[in-house]
Amino acid sequence: MVRWRTVVTAVILLSLWPLLALAQETEAYRAFPLVGSRVAVWVIAQLHLMFAAFVLAVPIFAVIVEYMGMRLKNPKFDRLAREFTKLLFAAFSTTAILGAILLFTLIGLYPKFFTYLSSIFFPTMWLYAVLFFGETFSLYLYWHTWDRLQDRKRLHLTLGLMVNFFGTVLMVIANSWLTFMTSPAGVDVTGKLINLWAAINNPTWMAINIHRFIANISFGGAICGAYAAYKFLGAKSDEERAHYDWMGYIGNFIAISALIFLPFAGYLLGRELYDFNQQMGIMAMGGFLSWLWIIQAILIGILFLGSNYYLWLGMERIKGGERYRRYIKYLMILLAGGFLVWATPHSLVASLEEARKIGTAYHPLLGVLGVMSAKNTAVNIMILTTFVSFLLYRRANKEAVVSWEKLGKVAQAGLLAISGGIVIYLGIYGYFVEAIVRIGFSVYQVISVLTAMVLVGGIDLLLYRGARITGAFQWGKIAVRSQYTLVLLAITFTWLMGLMGYFRSAIRQHWHVYGIIRDTSPDAFSPTLGYAANVVSVTTVIFLGFLLFIFWLGGLGDKKPARPRETGKGKG
Amino acid sequence: MFWVHLKMAIFGLLIIGFFTYYANSIPQLESRPPEELALTEAEATPERLAQLGRDIFFAKGGCAVCHNIKTAEEKGERAPNLQGIGARAATARPGMSAKQYLLESLTKPQTFLVAGYPPIMPPANKPPVGLNRVEMAAIVAFMQSLGGQVDVKLDDIPAGAVAAPSAPAASPAFVRQAGDAKAGKELFASKGCIACHKVADAGGKIGPDLSSVGEKSSPVEIIRAIIEPAVVLTPGYPPVMPPDYAEKLTVKELNDLVAYLTELK
Repeated sequence: MVRWRTVVTAVILLSLWPLLALAQETEAYRAFPLVGSRVAVWVIAQLHLMFAAFVLAVPIFAVIVEYMGMRLKNPKFDRLAREFTKLLFAAFSTTAILGAILLFTLIGLYPKFFTYLSSIFFPTMWLYAVLFFGETFSLYLYWHTWDRLQDRKRLHLTLGLMVNFFGTVLMVIANSWLTFMTSPAGVDVTGKLINLWAAINNPTWMAINIHRFIANISFGGAICGAYAAYKFLGAKSDEERAHYDWMGYIGNFIAISALIFLPFAGYLLGRELYDFNQQMGIMAMGGFLSWLWIIQAILIGILFLGSNYYLWLGMERIKGGERYRRYIKYLMILLAGGFLVWATPHSLVASLEEARKIGTAYHPLLGVLGVMSAKNTAVNIMILTTFVSFLLYRRANKEAVVSWEKLGKVAQAGLLAISGGIVIYLGIYGYFVEAIVRIGFSVYQVISVLTAMVLVGGIDLLLYRGARITGAFQWGKIAVRSQYTLVLLAITFTWLMGLMGYFRSAIRQHWHVYGIIRDTSPDAFSPTLGYAANVVSVTTVIFLGFLLFIFWLGGLGDKKPARPRETGKGKG
Repeated sequence: MFWVHLKMAIFGLLIIGFFTYYANSIPQLESRPPEELALTEAEATPERLAQLGRDIFFAKGGCAVCHNIKTAEEKGERAPNLQGIGARAATARPGMSAKQYLLESLTKPQTFLVAGYPPIMPPANKPPVGLNRVEMAAIVAFMQSLGGQVDVKLDDIPAGAVAAPSAPAASPAFVRQAGDAKAGKELFASKGCIACHKVADAGGKIGPDLSSVGEKSSPVEIIRAIIEPAVVLTPGYPPVMPPDYAEKLTVKELNDLVAYLTELK
């Protein structure tokens, strides 16, 4: 079923190329009924990206989990990897079909623009189509040889790596098209191609590649977590509940592990934007899009709070975890404080009378918290706090037996304190230096946090090697609200992804290709955040609806117990 | 399982509803594409130019993103403080007038880089800023008004100082002046337009019939069709119109031609 659909989709993709010739002969824009061309392409592109992110992310951790199963000789991991892949398989054809629809709508609604884009990237489009076959076939092989290659796991893992290879290359090719629109390179002032490689390797390409790679993992983990929550809530047995509780934990662990690195990738992208065009960078951060970052702060704050809350709830199912319960309130204070600072806007909405009373457009106290220095400090502290939550969870049922236990714990606390101190010091010092110096501080803040996490994590591994186990993990015995937390995380990730899609498009303002191809359509303006939010919400509902349907479909096969075939009564 | 589905759906909708409500409750700003500024020579008085230049400084030009106009003692954070630039420009380079210095700074910003600031300014005359000749004159006038004497005129902006009109789908950069329709009619014949385009009973059939072009198209659309024929192609006609009329025609000739074509109704 899935196989022929995917092949048909691939054929559709290839058969659309001749339409490019047609596009050259027609007008620049065509109208889409009811919602207009912009919203039509927006929703389809966003849905395609959401599914694509999931499809690209899942093989990454499916292969890792399968590898862990092989190393640990634990079939539980193998089952989990297989379950991840089952979800991937179900979502793969939907992704491909949405990709074909996106191509169709782009050619149909924006023929001139698509003709121009294909005049630059046509060779890569062919490569994309060929690699798509590579991904499809390697995925078939990976899925269908799971049982057959049980004794040849390395070969099976190689197939999984091939899926990842093809998927990642497909992503970076598509990224070159969209980043070219934001930061064109390799063309002259009239837009004529001079150097294809320069057009591909444009200023924001690598930053987007890194950002998307990490974000996809985070998003994929969150969706798998939501799937596990869905199955947990509908589970009929303790065994089933235990399995999906564990799967939810792994999904959340993957999502949060990647999320911790995402702000750093975001800095890199922001820096590339500034380097490409200072005006674009400043406008993105402080222009009409400045309030977008407040919404983003709310969403990421929810992600941090939600994932920490899930870990804290998870500690209740671990005997011994109660020892660390008293620390939770302090972690909560740090997270909430960071959240409040991060979500503080620089300028508050005030009436003219209020502004006159204050004497400035900025609130005397809150305005100070709304600037880059404060926000960088807040997010780094939140990352460190989340890391501490994970450390507590990790050691919930363990007692270190090494002779240097006290020294190790003091070293860990010291490293975390030094890192936190550096972050806060640079955050405050940032108020007294010029913008260009202040931006550079964020790099040192990031380095201090990453270094602390690597060193503290390394010490923790050694500290709890051969540790005494004080109690077992009671998988399945977790509060139901934890599962809704997983759903909350998946929805927030999805909505956030949609919001950032709007951001990436809005920073080009009235350009299809920034500074090269001007948007002269009736939609040649960037809509308000409210309007964007409405579109993002509708897209998220459609995506989640599709996903729920796919989850339900995936579960149909599970429900049927294997019955012995009645001889002579088969229906052929 | 039905209840699981229902509860998850309600929970999801509540979360999405909250995000939507919040995003709709904050300040709502739209980013509209900047409009092209067109002035006749008579309208381009120093006061008017300086006033329009101020608008461009804070909006279309995006200058205020980096530059500020504070008291003379205060240093600009990302780019120099432009308070008093009108006076400083007059003496900045020996043998260079204020308007020449300012124009050069706008079109080749790295030439006169102020010490202590990074080379981040994009040329104002090229996309994505892409100011046209009137807008360039207006921004120079505004700079001059900051402590100096406004003496820039539209003619001070050389034709080559604005964005290449051949840039695909770029906005035409032009100075719209009151044209002479009679002279335009003569140009229509002498410049060879009549060889391909028909007006009334005379003319070729290679290009579209222009007998009622003034009724169907605005002056701006007519200018664009002349200087960017590849962008404004009429369906059913081959793309054979020479793309170099922006260079071949003087500003006056272009305005005369447009005046003539606009009258064809």
